[in-house]
Amino acid sequence: MKNAVRWIVVLLVAAAGAFGQQLDKASLVRRQQELTAESELAKEPKFYFVLNVRQRSLELRVKGMPLRAWKLKSMKFWGQPAFSKTVVLVRKSTLNPPQRNVIKPGETTAAKDPVKFELEALELKDMPRSFSLEFDNGLHVSVKAEGGGLRSLAEAFGWYAVLPVRNLIQTRNGKPMSELELSFENEKDAQAMYWIFFEGIKGLVY
Amino acid sequence: MGKRLLVVLLVLGYLGALAAVGVSYYSGLKQAADWPPKAEGAPLSEKDLPKVRKTVQALEKRIAGFSPRGVYIVVDTGENRLYVKKGDEIVRQAVVSCGSGDVLQDPTGKRKWVFDTPRGEFYVKSKITNPYWVKPDWAFIEEGEPIPKKAEDRVEAGSLGDYALGFGDGFFIHGTLYTRLLGRNVTHGCVRVGDDDLKEIFKIVPLGTKIYIY
Repeated sequence: MKNAVRWIVVLLVAAAGAFGQQLDKASLVRRQQELTAESELAKEPKFYFVLNVRQRSLELRVKGMPLRAWKLKSMKFWGQPAFSKTVVLVRKSTLNPPQRNVIKPGETTAAKDPVKFELEALELKDMPRSFSLEFDNGLHVSVKAEGGGLRSLAEAFGWYAVLPVRNLIQTRNGKPMSELELSFENEKDAQAMYWIFFEGIKGLVY
Repeated sequence: MGKRLLVVLLVLGYLGALAAVGVSYYSGLKQAADWPPKAEGAPLSEKDLPKVRKTVQALEKRIAGFSPRGVYIVVDTGENRLYVKKGDEIVRQAVVSCGSGDVLQDPTGKRKWVFDTPRGEFYVKSKITNPYWVKPDWAFIEEGEPIPKKAEDRVEAGSLGDYALGFGDGFFIHGTLYTRLLGRNVTHGCVRVGDDDLKEIFKIVPLGTKIYIY
């Protein structure tokens, strides 16, 4: 009896070791692919982003250096996005895009009376809290800050009822959908992402 | 009879819609369970393992080699923050004022200015002590004043503070008279810094230092 238990333990340890090695190999291959893609972006003096789906993190980088990092509260997706290659942001859209203030010549209060000066500028707080990003590979990303009320209900209906049906139809038509939703706890994080992400920015999603 | 048929149809329609959503949801979840995909390509053999490890190390080294040597400046235009960094370490940070994003149109309609701080990679091209501001055309147009014909009428002393670091196209990191507006987007594109921070930044940053503005 004791011998049998000993053998079972030995076999379990061996199996766990083999499984761990397989995992290690898979992550090594994945790491190589990620680094190969990143080295192509990092050699250019341009900003790029890295969205790590597994770690739920997003970073703005240049030359391999992280400049700004965001922690995502949650992330969910529909469909089968092809995430292995470099993506390019082709469109950034929102219901109410921020508007620039147009200066009327001779009407700036700053020059005449600095005390009465009222700031009219486009600032981070003016950026939208929810928006969407479309990438060149068909990936569609919705970004939002955690909120409540009717908007959340409408978003939940869209996510849990409309999107599954659309996904099924599109998959049957041979055009699988790629929909990703990123949620931030802090609305300022979502606004900063809108501020920083420009059309044409390249990035990696893995 | 007709009423009963209508109720039955409505119930069937409702159940049909529920079933459609249910089936879609289930198939979507099944699809999602297969993601993220496993590493692509041929399975890695024991023999190839050291080679892949070596490649990974070489790639990590290559990417690390792209980052600037010595100190560099990072400007976050949304948060209005400037950082002087060396590697991952923050050597100095300051609250600054960046571009307002406002638009000014020349009354003739020929020219238009957007007061954004430019984004991207730059480097310190000039270091100036006691800088003078040579006011560009937009400064006069904005104030509703005629554009002077003589160059000397454009020169203004004191408004840029004690030091200025030029990074091209007339853009500078400089001082300010409006210190209460630090932290707000108020400038015409330059980066305004408070006196103490500017003095320290000017001291530690040599010519040629990389500047990353986002």
